[in-house]
Amino acid sequence: MKRLTSLPTLRVDVGRPVPFVYKNQTGRGFKGDTIATALYAAGVRIFSRSLKYHRPRGLFSLDGESSNTMMTVNGVPNVRTETTLLAEGAMIRDQNAIFTARNDLLGFMDRLDRFMPAGFYYETMHKPASLWPVAAKMVRKAAGLGRIAPDFRFSGACDEMYPAADLCVIGGGPAGMEAALAAADQGLRVILLEARPWLGGSFDYRERGSGEDAPLYRQAADLASRVSTRAAIRVFTRTAMVGGYSDNLVTAVTEGGPDDPFDYRYLEMRPRAVVVATGSRERPLIFENNERPGVMLPDCALRLARTYGILAGREAVFSVGHDLGLEAALDLSELGLPVRAVADVRTKGHDPALVRGLADRRIPFYPGWAAAAVEGKKGVKSVRLASCDGGQYRILTCDLLAAAAGHTPAVEPLSLFCGPLAYDGQTGYFLPRTYPAGVFAAGRIYGLEAPQNIRISGRVAGLDAAAFCGADCRGAADAHRNELAALPMGRPASKWVAFPGPWRKHFVDFDEDVTGKHIRQAVGRGFGVPELIKRFTAAGTGPGQGGISGHNLPLLVAAIKNPSRDRTDIHGTVPAPTTVRPPLRPVFLAAYAGSGREMVKRTPVHDAQAWEGAVFRRVGVWHRARYFSADLDVSEEVDNVRTNVGMLDASTLGCFRIFGPDALSALQRVYAGDMSKIKDGRVKYAAMCNHDGCVIDDGVVIRIGENDYMFTTSTGRAGETVEWIRYHTRFDNWDFHLVNQTDGTGVINLAGPRARDVLERVTDADVSNQAFSFGCWKDFSLSGGIPVRCLRLGFVGELSFELNIPASYMQAAWDMLRKAGSGFGLRPFGVEAQNILRLEKGHVILGQESEQRTNLLDLNMGFLFSRDKDIRPVGADALLQAEKDAGRLTLVGIRMTDSSCVPPDGSILVDDQVVDPVIGYVGTIRKSRALDAVVGMALVERAWTAEGTRLAVYDGGGEPSERHDATVVRMPFYDPEGIRMRM
Amino acid sequence: MSLLIHCPICGRRNGYEFRYGGEDKGAYPAGRSLTPEAWYEYVHANTCSAGVVAEWWCHRHGCGLWFTIFRDTRTNRQVLEHGGRS
Repeated sequence: MKRLTSLPTLRVDVGRPVPFVYKNQTGRGFKGDTIATALYAAGVRIFSRSLKYHRPRGLFSLDGESSNTMMTVNGVPNVRTETTLLAEGAMIRDQNAIFTARNDLLGFMDRLDRFMPAGFYYETMHKPASLWPVAAKMVRKAAGLGRIAPDFRFSGACDEMYPAADLCVIGGGPAGMEAALAAADQGLRVILLEARPWLGGSFDYRERGSGEDAPLYRQAADLASRVSTRAAIRVFTRTAMVGGYSDNLVTAVTEGGPDDPFDYRYLEMRPRAVVVATGSRERPLIFENNERPGVMLPDCALRLARTYGILAGREAVFSVGHDLGLEAALDLSELGLPVRAVADVRTKGHDPALVRGLADRRIPFYPGWAAAAVEGKKGVKSVRLASCDGGQYRILTCDLLAAAAGHTPAVEPLSLFCGPLAYDGQTGYFLPRTYPAGVFAAGRIYGLEAPQNIRISGRVAGLDAAAFCGADCRGAADAHRNELAALPMGRPASKWVAFPGPWRKHFVDFDEDVTGKHIRQAVGRGFGVPELIKRFTAAGTGPGQGGISGHNLPLLVAAIKNPSRDRTDIHGTVPAPTTVRPPLRPVFLAAYAGSGREMVKRTPVHDAQAWEGAVFRRVGVWHRARYFSADLDVSEEVDNVRTNVGMLDASTLGCFRIFGPDALSALQRVYAGDMSKIKDGRVKYAAMCNHDGCVIDDGVVIRIGENDYMFTTSTGRAGETVEWIRYHTRFDNWDFHLVNQTDGTGVINLAGPRARDVLERVTDADVSNQAFSFGCWKDFSLSGGIPVRCLRLGFVGELSFELNIPASYMQAAWDMLRKAGSGFGLRPFGVEAQNILRLEKGHVILGQESEQRTNLLDLNMGFLFSRDKDIRPVGADALLQAEKDAGRLTLVGIRMTDSSCVPPDGSILVDDQVVDPVIGYVGTIRKSRALDAVVGMALVERAWTAEGTRLAVYDGGGEPSERHDATVVRMPFYDPEGIRMRM
Repeated sequence: MSLLIHCPICGRRNGYEFRYGGEDKGAYPAGRSLTPEAWYEYVHANTCSAGVVAEWWCHRHGCGLWFTIFRDTRTNRQVLEHGGRS
């Protein structure tokens, strides 16, 4: 098709062709085309088949109000081609058709409509039950939209943004731009959201202004350039608002253009004020076959010509109910589209200039007439126009029918803020009853039509918003308000519903194939309100979310319920429309997920470990070295710690300092034990419980000065510890300070019989067993003056030094130790080896041996609980109760009878002799080379805790599932006297 | 998601900067005479009422303060004690 190339309103660059592939044929659009306009220009008229009846569907509107033009693009189903820009080489297919949308083998479904009344899914398809699986399969094959490949993976890039602004203007038309400028003039920072790729709204593609003003498109361009050059106004185009919530929370999604580094960007903002200026759409006209390809909204036909240079047909008939429809007819006629007739449901109130223009061009004008039916199977062949009283009719041949009943405000964004809508008798619109503080509206959404009125209403809204934000401009706002009131207001919109009839092929909702007949059936079944009818008929539940049916559905319900009333006067009988909910447009979940970056912390010696071949795993917010060896049972790492010496990066452990007059009180509150008994130079092992007495954390506490303590927490708890301590002291007004030193402190655990040999090579301090024995701590320096705080602990059961080092010295200390240890067989080990080492020693890891219900006593750690402290610790009351409870699980050591059998962690323990055969479960269980046995720790009921008790470990993973024998044994398994860690 | 909370130190902030700390039930009941039932009531039983509720919140991603607010659970908005807009 040859495009109109000389229009000043054109948004396509006809010098820049963009090739695409449609059904294995190459086509060509132009830069600026959407997929739908490029296809339309290439002659495609049938874009898809409908969900239920497989009726052919074509281009009806241009803003994605229906699923008519949803297609599969580059393998992604349900792409809204009306709003998606054509990209080079796009592979486009139609969907929901056997063969093609043009020749769909399921087209016969259309004739079966009498077997598919409203709610037929609910009522027909459930008896007999045995047939349901077969029927479901068939329905799913025949109905639905695009098909997603089972291995489909979303490949786009998503981003997110949280901009700050005083005012968010939704809609970049003339009213929105005026509002943004007026507010910016008052010093507000403004964000302007526009769903289309350019600003301008309804002015962008219109020529006719009022009187001597500049053409509308030039006014729009002027406003757009003023808006775009204002530093205080940030413009987001291709950005549709998708959510509005209380207190002005606004969410939107930007579709990335060719130059953007993202495909979708989620925006979330909390402006102090919101101006909604989303304008209006056209209300679809309901008549027989009102969704045949070739029927479209007049505005759609006008935009095709003026924005994309496409004349939508060869011969057109218009059936409208609004001046914009007349303007479109006249404008398109002037652009060269033969217009055979223009019908208007209104009998009076037309813009006389437009009527005169039609007469000048000898276009027959029928006031008080409307389209009643369209003939043609795959496109429009002829149109039957009839007078609204039904007395006269005429049949006109044409291939394009531009039809609309009038306007409908794009009120969805506003209703998200304002709640339920009510029918407004003056405009015939559904408008909010109340506006929350800080939410304003402007422009055509109120029914304004004159360009001047639209612009002034934008200024009023912008100034109102500025005044709400504290600017001194109430007077200016009122002045504009009075100016607006003095101008002639818009004429009432047409309230036309439809000619009487059964409405069998009168489509109310395209996405779900809902006809007027279905609405009639639903009302007949007693569904009185649109909200219920929507659910029974599915009208408005499709991808267009009521974009087509939203306004017409309540009008039809009113007309059905009050058939005797004059159909043009239904005021007072119209029920409220259905509720609008976010997202207003289909949004990929990936867009909500945003960039999806994995936020993770690395320890100061992450790279050093990576060079040594560490494999990392995520532990809490950290990446920790899991193992360094190729063998998955880490036997070399384990053996090396037992025979030589190993080093573990334990920097992820929480490290805190607490000081101040009430520091000890705070520790007493959160730790179960008595912290007043910490001896100078000694390390105290301690546990924190919650109110239920369940252990949430363990670590060590040392006293480093007067009212000054350091304590450690497990890796996972570090982030919550300050909150936890503050929470449990919130009623006490205690004076203490807490500092989280975790990120600033690195920890190297040097462990093994040769650990002292290594350490002595890098420090002058006396680290002999006499000067520095087990359970003590000491501050000293490594060579070169690296300060360390060293704790002698024994988590892995060997002589070990836990070196707390400032993070910035970690790399140096690591390298120094590595070098010093080369003659002693020093090698790093990871958390997998540590897991086995500590298991052999019978030391628990919270979350492995314990779960949420495991309390301190269950873990045999009652010695950490002090009953008679002055300050009652968190969990004390529950622990005192639990002491009397014999029905709890207890931690025991177990040894497998068969030393080659290693059941999975978490296996359950069973005893078939009792009523409830599950008697406990395994925490961790591993093959121990030091013991030459398979040992583990398990929580079991009291009756099975005695040493020597036989247990059966149920291995559900095996096939057939098996029971393995185990015995309760004494812990620790390794070095029971604890000689090795005290060396 | 749209909850706004007024932190006594940082002012009006998005709700997801805060951590919920349960209904405000006053200080922990004291001492040796505490029955298991009373302990249970304090720790686990909540009013869960539809209306204005006093709650603890922590400005976790801000100043770290624990404080109480009144929230109308029907509108998910912070309110004054008697239910007016805060």
